[in-house]
Amino acid sequence: MDLFLHYLSLPYLLSGIGFTMAVTALGLGGGLLVGLVLASMQLSKVGPLAVFARGYTVIFRGTPLILQLVFAYDALPHIGLKLSAIGAAGLALSLNEGPFIAEILRAGVLGVERGQLLAGQALGMTPAVMMRRVIAPQAIRTIVPALGNESVSALKNSSLASVIAVDELTLRSTQLASSTFDFFSIFFASGLMYLLLTGAIALIQLIAEAALDLDRPAGERFAHLLPWRRAKQGEDELAAPARAEGAEGAEGVQAQTQAAQGAMVAHATAKTGTSAAAEADPLASRAPLRLVGTPRPDRAKRYAELAQRPAAVRVTGLHKRYGKQTVLDRFDMTVQTGEVIALLGPSGSGKSTLLRCINHLEQWDAGQIHVGGRRLGYREDGRPMSQRDLANERASVGVGMVFQQFNLFSHLSARENIAGPLRWVHGVNAIEADRRAFELLERVGLAHRADALPRHLSGGQQQRVAIARALAPNPRVLLLDEPTSALDPELVGEVLEVIQRLAVEDGLTMIISTHQLRFADQVADRVVFMSGGNVVEEGPAHELLTHPQHPLTTRFLNVMGADHRLEAAP
Amino acid sequence: MHTGVIDHRNGRRLAGRFPLALRWRELIACVVCLLAVLASGRAMAAGTTTPAECKALQAKYPQLKGKTLTNAINPHTPGYEALDPNDPSKYIGFDIDLGEAIGDCLGFKMAYKPVTFAALLTTLQSGQADIVISDIYATEERAKAADFITYSKVFDGVLVAKGNPKKITGINTSMCGTTAAENTGYVEVPLINALAPACKSGGKSEATVQLYDNNANCIQAILAGRADTYINDVNTVDQAVKAYPDKLEKATAVTLPYSVGIGVPKDKPEFRAAVMAALLAIQKSGMQNEMLKKWSLPAENIEAPKLIVSN
Repeated sequence: MDLFLHYLSLPYLLSGIGFTMAVTALGLGGGLLVGLVLASMQLSKVGPLAVFARGYTVIFRGTPLILQLVFAYDALPHIGLKLSAIGAAGLALSLNEGPFIAEILRAGVLGVERGQLLAGQALGMTPAVMMRRVIAPQAIRTIVPALGNESVSALKNSSLASVIAVDELTLRSTQLASSTFDFFSIFFASGLMYLLLTGAIALIQLIAEAALDLDRPAGERFAHLLPWRRAKQGEDELAAPARAEGAEGAEGVQAQTQAAQGAMVAHATAKTGTSAAAEADPLASRAPLRLVGTPRPDRAKRYAELAQRPAAVRVTGLHKRYGKQTVLDRFDMTVQTGEVIALLGPSGSGKSTLLRCINHLEQWDAGQIHVGGRRLGYREDGRPMSQRDLANERASVGVGMVFQQFNLFSHLSARENIAGPLRWVHGVNAIEADRRAFELLERVGLAHRADALPRHLSGGQQQRVAIARALAPNPRVLLLDEPTSALDPELVGEVLEVIQRLAVEDGLTMIISTHQLRFADQVADRVVFMSGGNVVEEGPAHELLTHPQHPLTTRFLNVMGADHRLEAAP
Repeated sequence: MHTGVIDHRNGRRLAGRFPLALRWRELIACVVCLLAVLASGRAMAAGTTTPAECKALQAKYPQLKGKTLTNAINPHTPGYEALDPNDPSKYIGFDIDLGEAIGDCLGFKMAYKPVTFAALLTTLQSGQADIVISDIYATEERAKAADFITYSKVFDGVLVAKGNPKKITGINTSMCGTTAAENTGYVEVPLINALAPACKSGGKSEATVQLYDNNANCIQAILAGRADTYINDVNTVDQAVKAYPDKLEKATAVTLPYSVGIGVPKDKPEFRAAVMAALLAIQKSGMQNEMLKKWSLPAENIEAPKLIVSN
């Protein structure tokens, strides 16, 4: 025991720790660099780069570190690259750690939901912004445990550097054991030193995980561990609808006091008022088709008026194939400014593809799309666009998109989901972006949930945030791709109501693909019935829905209508 | 080392906390020292006085003067090269003294690079070391990798467990069926393997060799009962017996047809000549005999330098 303590405090061994840490740090730092390069090569769509990265991985992951160390130390000098022992060890460990770290990084990146990437694209994020704001923050959270693991492994691997004369802990221990014959006390002492080092890494990992845990607000990082705090959090979620009522009531009163100040604010009051009513009445939200208001009055008059307006979206001869299957077959459609179009049609009729083309999330094979008079897909000099150009095009043309699966950025609060893209894509300053986010959350009745993470919101609430996010940059056109299809029936109503208000109060141009016939009837000016990538029938919403001309339309409406009768009966 | 900081009002708590805090402080200090250590090179061994001819040699080989050369060693052989147990920042032993004396004579300083035995010549070949003085036997095989200047005869000892339970009497058929621990690259390995035909013709199984990468591991193999014998330089064996007198003994000593040599790169004949000349001067002045005495090595070990090179 005395000997053990003697060696534990022996400066000669303790200073070996410095070398161990230096080699580990070099190996991890270099490995991170190599890993970043390898991961980007593999994730890039450039074939040869991916093949090279794969080949590198096969070689350096498939050969023993000890051979790589000896190679870096003894073979490289023969080609004129004479590294110091520490340098050679750092190099070999970096090259060896690289592929492992690359796989960790790649898993982290691929682990980010595809839908969020689509949403980021739709919001006009360039690949760089997307990486920095959407992918990296989420990937980092998921890779921390694996990186902790890899760091411990690198630390232990550093002991192999003893074979190339790096004066680290293991080499010092073995030499000391040879000269003193105190084999066991020395190795117990150095073993304990390694244990302290790996323990420190584990601690750093825990701290990093805690610091990155989104479910813990910075101030309550440790408080959340207390049982009563946790219970309260649970209640919060259960009580959300009830609290919503109260909160919105208060906001309503506050808004009323401001009502005199402007019509805009008066609007908001009305909206929060109705949404509070809807949320307070459980029956209202359970019945998806029970919407506020009646179908638009004076349809004929409005229809005629819309026809006079300029076209917001013009699709001509759009052709799109996936492999051999034609999805859009010389499709034509014009949407007037302020018009609301309901796209109906069976699954696979091309509705979603059409919407994705209008936002240029898909490339098409032939035809043209104009939004607000601007032709999509070509730079001013006529050359095809890069990913970055496309992103900028989306941001400047002004097409908002709402997805079936909401696709909120799961690491950001409701407010940040809205304010973030405004700052990153449109360069709005933080205060203004925050103000806008809050205003929009108020409009969709979720001001009280501004700081909630998407996973703490119901599907309906998430979709309302997603709508607010799409509205934030004041889009010219809003595309909604089956916005209620992923929702539980009782949550459909709140979302449809928000959409309806946008149509009625804002006069927003919208193209909505939906299966909700009564909603289409109430909200849409025009229904476009699609099948097989073509327009089968189109016309004023009420007329088409009540008196379809085409047999396909009739059959579709019968089937859907039957479903809805079943669904509407509680 | 921590007793001075115990607070008497609250001794236990502090006693529990301060050692760790101190250790970390030491650790941080060590990390800070790291760069200095990196910059200043490795441990230096103690110097010796210089023979008279050295002045002329320094004039003849001025290119070595003031240099620091790197000596690759396998510092697991107490008596020849090992850490100083009293000051582990230094290497000590007969080879270390000899190398320092050659350095003093030619006017260069010696830095040390500890590597495994099998890596000694590789390290020299790759240029990561300039010279190898590490109790390495100058065989024809090894002369393909480096030129050797011999300085000592080889006497091996046969280390066995106390009482020599397997009755091993040398590198002969008494080893059939036993297990020998050896270091990778040691000359004893082929000698033991060469016993196989003799064992077979005697109807016995051949000797097994376990390969380790340093002395301590070979000795531990016998202590742990994994191996029956470890045959190596007699002085090394004596040191092991001295360390574990109750558990180990030297069965016998054998003479091997080799000499111990200083390894130098094959492409530096001038350096080889300088080292040879310095070694001659050291032997002539009686310094080598003093070193043998200092490290309790038999005086008959000494051997007039000769070159072993292969073409």
